[in-house]
Amino acid sequence: MRAEWPGPSGWRGLLGRPGHYGWQEAKGLSLASGLPWLVVLILAALPLLISSYAVFNLMDQILILGVFAMSYDILLGYTGIVSFGHVLFFGTGAYTVAIILKHTGPGLGFLLLAVFGTVLISLVISLVIGYLSLRVKDVYYAMITLAFAELFAIIAEKWRAVTNGSDGFSFSIPHFLEDPTLFYYLILVFAVLTVILVRRFIHSPTGRVLLSIRENEKRAEFLGYNVIRFKLISTLVAGVVAGLAGIAWALQQAFVSTGVMATDKTIDALLMTTIGGTGTLYGAFIGSGLTNFASDRLSSLAEHYPLLQRWHLIFGLLYILIVLFFPGGILGFFRGKRWGRGHGAAERGYRRVKGERADGPVNGGGKD
Amino acid sequence: MGMGTFVNLTVNGLSTGMMIFLLASGLSLIFGLMGVLNFAHGSLFMLGGYTGVVVFAHSGSFILALVSAMLVGLLVGWVVERLTVRRVYGNAIAQILVTTGVMIVLNELVKAVFGPDIIATPVPPLLAGSWAIGSVILIKYRLFTLAVGLVVAVAVHLLLTKTRLGMVVRAGVENPEMVQALGINIRQVFSLVFAFGAALAALGGVMMAPAVGAVNPDMGLQNQMLAFIVVVIGGMGSFLGSALGSILVGLAGAYTAWFLPEASLAVNVLLMAVVLLLRPNGLFGMGGE
Repeated sequence: MRAEWPGPSGWRGLLGRPGHYGWQEAKGLSLASGLPWLVVLILAALPLLISSYAVFNLMDQILILGVFAMSYDILLGYTGIVSFGHVLFFGTGAYTVAIILKHTGPGLGFLLLAVFGTVLISLVISLVIGYLSLRVKDVYYAMITLAFAELFAIIAEKWRAVTNGSDGFSFSIPHFLEDPTLFYYLILVFAVLTVILVRRFIHSPTGRVLLSIRENEKRAEFLGYNVIRFKLISTLVAGVVAGLAGIAWALQQAFVSTGVMATDKTIDALLMTTIGGTGTLYGAFIGSGLTNFASDRLSSLAEHYPLLQRWHLIFGLLYILIVLFFPGGILGFFRGKRWGRGHGAAERGYRRVKGERADGPVNGGGKD
Repeated sequence: MGMGTFVNLTVNGLSTGMMIFLLASGLSLIFGLMGVLNFAHGSLFMLGGYTGVVVFAHSGSFILALVSAMLVGLLVGWVVERLTVRRVYGNAIAQILVTTGVMIVLNELVKAVFGPDIIATPVPPLLAGSWAIGSVILIKYRLFTLAVGLVVAVAVHLLLTKTRLGMVVRAGVENPEMVQALGINIRQVFSLVFAFGAALAALGGVMMAPAVGAVNPDMGLQNQMLAFIVVVIGGMGSFLGSALGSILVGLAGAYTAWFLPEASLAVNVLLMAVVLLLRPNGLFGMGGE
């Protein structure tokens, strides 16, 4: 194991070369790196096998919410902060694209304008909110972000002239996006690109410092890292990705309402990330696939079995069990089995949640 | 604005503040003594509201509704502490995550049993109506809320500061090992504190239901926000701080609702943000981080 110093990082470190910092995780991932591409290949072949509108619809939602949950994982799994306000970026992205397209018409140029606008707005909002709220920690941070999200939800509700409140409004999307197959492929490309970019970010020197903050904030501070600045970078990246997911969501629905600002969405992201596996990135997609597929299946079954309408209950229980006993989530559980424990961020996250020392002996100093 | 309006607004603000205090008191107790921020608090509050509605509808006794809701809160709180919270003491992130899970489960359970729609809740006949003194209108139920809130505030404060149980709890927070070594089962004491906080949440739920006129499965999360806000404003570990924070929020809400209705929802959030940024430990909080 090469133990190179992460070198100069911060804003500049964002673009540093990934994968050369001697982390064991890189080994685990290289073993697994074929698998995600295989999954992408299967997903790309899907339209050849099935051409049902309902399936495309479900797959789009799984991928988009997966990206949203992945952005949450940057905070929860890679920086170790719990935000209850993450939905406000998702909602801002959704409202930005919806408002722009409604008032200008369904042109590609305007869509790009909306994307650009969302990135800019997300950056500004996360800078302001991060600057204000990152000075407090843990529960206080969770609460103040919840308060900010509430503020945004109130604005979306009350500013009826623009948002039409909880009734929401529909808008026309650019014509080429109306073809479900093409839209599905675009969403797939969008998801793959964001995964690559976020992975690159996580493995950059800056991402490494974030991990060290997650593991031991005090130690990172003593090493001379400006912890708040690094957390700010983390919230910026997570905010922008969430905003982009919000755009995709609004385009997919061709409709927005205050639902895109609801705290339920943050909790869903938390649920998906945790069930799939925090600190894994891919776990977010597994969680999203599982919960959305189940919600789709179970709500159609619920016509005959009304209790299944409360499918969230099952996931709530699963989630509690995972938090208490398998904090690595589904992916962490399988990674632990196949590649031995102690490899990968999931395992370290697992120990952190269990309150053990992240760099302590594995399994009480036993095997491995 | 006439004198009458001012008095009305102040009385309304005070009684709303006391209502918020009732729902925040349990949260404040658990957070202040055990350092656990219970994200399922709102769900316990909602559970109390539903229990109250059901018992009141079947028995017609509001007292019975209050008592049975508190018992349900006590029991559910105790189970929740035993099964989940106990495993994550000392780990703030895991506490947030696990209590959020409890919130999801409790909310879904209530929806499964009572359905997702609102259930109308009448004010008990004895407390319905109002007195008019000149231009001042005193709504009976609001005065009742004010009284119950005051009783709870004083009783819990005395319990914490004047009784042996309060002493044990406070000592247990300082040094659990030492208290354990002195022959006191500190885990049991913590279970009790958590259950008691849950019972206070349930009490808040029953009291809130007739004031709002209905219970619904989302009332938990909506009101939890308010409870968080006052606990933060009042300062961690300060029970009386929470009471004063509640009154502050209640009054601020009442006055802005009159002068600037559009801002009345946002004012609490802004109040918390300002307090948190200027005094991260709250107005009456103790010590450093």
